[in-house]
Amino acid sequence: MATKATVSLIPGTGLNDETGALLTGFNWEDLMAFLTRRADDILELTRDHLVVVVVSVVLAAIIGIGLGILVRNRRIARTTVLTAAAVAITIPSLALLALLSPVLGLGWLPTVVALVFYSLLPVVRNTVVGLREVPVSVLESARGMGLGPTRILFTVQLPIAWPVIMTGIRVAAQLTVGIAAIAAYVAGPGLGEYIFKGLSSLGSKNALNYALTGTVAVIILALVLDGILVLVARLTTSRGLRA
Amino acid sequence: MTGPQVVPSATTMLRTQSAPRRGMPVLLRRLMPLIVVAVVLVLTYVWVSSLDLDSIEQRTLNADYITARIGEHLVLSIIASVLVAVLAIPAGIAVSRSRSKVFRGVVIGIANIGQATPAIGVVILLAIVWQTGFTTALLALVIYSFLPVLQNTIAGLAQVDPSIRESARGMGMTPSQVLRRVELPLASPVILAGLRTALVFAVGVATVATFINAGGLGDMIINGLKLQRYPVLVVGAILVASIAVLIDWAAGVVEDIVRPKGL
Amino acid sequence: MPDITTNTGVLTSLAAQQGGVDIVLDHITKQYPGQQRPAVEDFSMRVEPGELIMFVGPSGCGKTTTMKMINRIIEPTSGSIRINGDDVLSLDGNELRRHIGYVIQQIGLFPHFTIAENIAIVPKLLGWSKARIAERVDELLRTVQLDPGTFAQRYPRQLSGGQQQRVGVARALAADPPVMLMDEPFGATDPITREKLQAEFLRIQADIGKTIIFVTHDFEEAIRMGDRIAVLSDRSQIEQFDTPARILAEPANDYVRSFIGEGAALKRLALIPVTDARIGSADAAAPAVTVDEHSSLREALDTLVLTGAARVNVTRAGAVVGSIDQAAISAALGSEGPARRAEEA
Repeated sequence: MATKATVSLIPGTGLNDETGALLTGFNWEDLMAFLTRRADDILELTRDHLVVVVVSVVLAAIIGIGLGILVRNRRIARTTVLTAAAVAITIPSLALLALLSPVLGLGWLPTVVALVFYSLLPVVRNTVVGLREVPVSVLESARGMGLGPTRILFTVQLPIAWPVIMTGIRVAAQLTVGIAAIAAYVAGPGLGEYIFKGLSSLGSKNALNYALTGTVAVIILALVLDGILVLVARLTTSRGLRA
Repeated sequence: MTGPQVVPSATTMLRTQSAPRRGMPVLLRRLMPLIVVAVVLVLTYVWVSSLDLDSIEQRTLNADYITARIGEHLVLSIIASVLVAVLAIPAGIAVSRSRSKVFRGVVIGIANIGQATPAIGVVILLAIVWQTGFTTALLALVIYSFLPVLQNTIAGLAQVDPSIRESARGMGMTPSQVLRRVELPLASPVILAGLRTALVFAVGVATVATFINAGGLGDMIINGLKLQRYPVLVVGAILVASIAVLIDWAAGVVEDIVRPKGL
Repeated sequence: MPDITTNTGVLTSLAAQQGGVDIVLDHITKQYPGQQRPAVEDFSMRVEPGELIMFVGPSGCGKTTTMKMINRIIEPTSGSIRINGDDVLSLDGNELRRHIGYVIQQIGLFPHFTIAENIAIVPKLLGWSKARIAERVDELLRTVQLDPGTFAQRYPRQLSGGQQQRVGVARALAADPPVMLMDEPFGATDPITREKLQAEFLRIQADIGKTIIFVTHDFEEAIRMGDRIAVLSDRSQIEQFDTPARILAEPANDYVRSFIGEGAALKRLALIPVTDARIGSADAAAPAVTVDEHSSLREALDTLVLTGAARVNVTRAGAVVGSIDQAAISAALGSEGPARRAEEA
């Protein structure tokens, strides 16, 4: 496990006595004991992390897909929404969380708001692109058969755009899992707590255990969540659309 | 490493959505981020000037302190990005050239794990295992920004039409000539997009570098939070956001200039 | 008797018609804003029930635009269109289109629906029962020579271009509309497949006799398939509107002549069966190669040229019943004039 942050990444530079001590001080049994003792804690944090991510992504999906549908044919509105979302994503997460804290305080609320904010760009952009990429011939034949615009949107365009939209949701989920870790600094829920505990207990024996556990748990969570979303995407996409 | 890989940013959105038509003139659209940031900064300045600052706030909200922090932030971000470019692009080329499926598989596997890794985790882990300070932050930034550039280099080279490559070889170009004169120019839009993403990531991660004593505008944000001095916090956050948007915009301009004509 | 003074009534009566209905276009014009000249200018035409009308013309002449105004995919700027005597411009567009078959060049099958689901679209919209729809899907797939067992549950991406085209036609026929609009429906296929599709379609039309507007830029296709051909020029102006035989025999002007190109006589011969010519008695000296009485005069001429003989024998069901020479063939061309016209009048 220690391979993540050791010699291979820092070839021959600056490994000082301190590092050496930490490295030799680190061992498997120690980590295992740490994990066993805190199993409940870790699971609870993981659950919180997952919940805050899912809530945010679901909200972002609803808002984002809705926005995407609304602006898909209106150039100015579309450009405005997409640009705003793109700017939002450029803002460093710590800054956004900090800006929200005077208004929304600390904890779950500003975290969810910030996460939804960041998730909007991938979802809206992919919704717009997906809807606009439906082949013109399909739309024309649909119209020629007498389907009205709303029916076309829901029975033709959205299903065909769905794989692209799901990709946007996956990107949003990955984004969110990482940013939620930072949100721990403003008392946000989740595994970021352990990562920051690692920081605050710097120099102590458990610092590495805390930070490592937090980071690795986040990685595993992100990968598992992505896997689940891939499965969901596959199950909800028509077999006729798979390339 | 969490973060969108090929997500176009604000100014790309503006460019790709437009062919000059009715609506805003192109120049205005191009300058929009600049204008918005300028307006926001001016408003912030006006707001701060109107406040009665206590001694703590005065120590932070003055030109010297702010300039120093901005400097630290920019130095960190830019050096990291340069390092990433120098390291990741050749790496991407090497991976593209490699015939070994195992090698590619490993790289893709690492990329997937990397995509899932939180930046803050990398920063703090490095600090624990090694030391706190500027160099560690630099290393964390390089590690974190490496992937988007690597992936985009690989993707950019992969999307070059094989028939173009073939006709170049057919004309007698050596593989390295084909790379330099044909493939890289054709792949450059995608590679530049990756560099741009890396730059924006760098600015973002540099913000949390404050946690490991690497300085930067994150200092203002943290201090503002810790000491409950909202003006400090807000100014720090706005400055960081503005720098991120401006750098993204500048990168977009460079992207447009460097892009080969005809693409 | 459906009340044809209301929209629903009109559409219901339209639905009840399965053989063709007539279509009357009256001074139709389409002017796009900002453009100098109209895309379609003052177009008038009457199509009889059950006719297969070809619109032929170069790209951009407005033929597709004209066709698309009949089902109001494009709305006319002025003029009126009546189907079966009813004014279609006063009906609800979506409802109207459910009663008109529409086939486009790129087909436009829904990629996320199975073949069966694709064909079932309009019947479902019209509220048919599941059983009736399933039966209809099977029937239609068989009509276009696709085995329902194999193809019904497949997806469009699993079918070849020619197969997709056939599904496109089946889909347009699904609700048994009295009118069909077809825009270069066989254009995206290779020549061999296209010929097969054309032959198949003619066979289907012989059975069902719908009123069809068929747009093409391929003059040969127009001659092969149409009951009447409208040769169109810019702004969808009608240069000539007549049967293939008469257009070939008497082109109205140089523009029409340019479509016919070389070999007008030979093309006409392809339209005349051997039985229409003067068949003499069997010739013992004729070569072994014979010509069936139902083949065209062009094939007869082809055989004559190939063998170099003076006469070739004509057969009916394999037995020789007479012979034919080049003079008889040429004479048949000449009689494609006043005598024929008198016959059809």
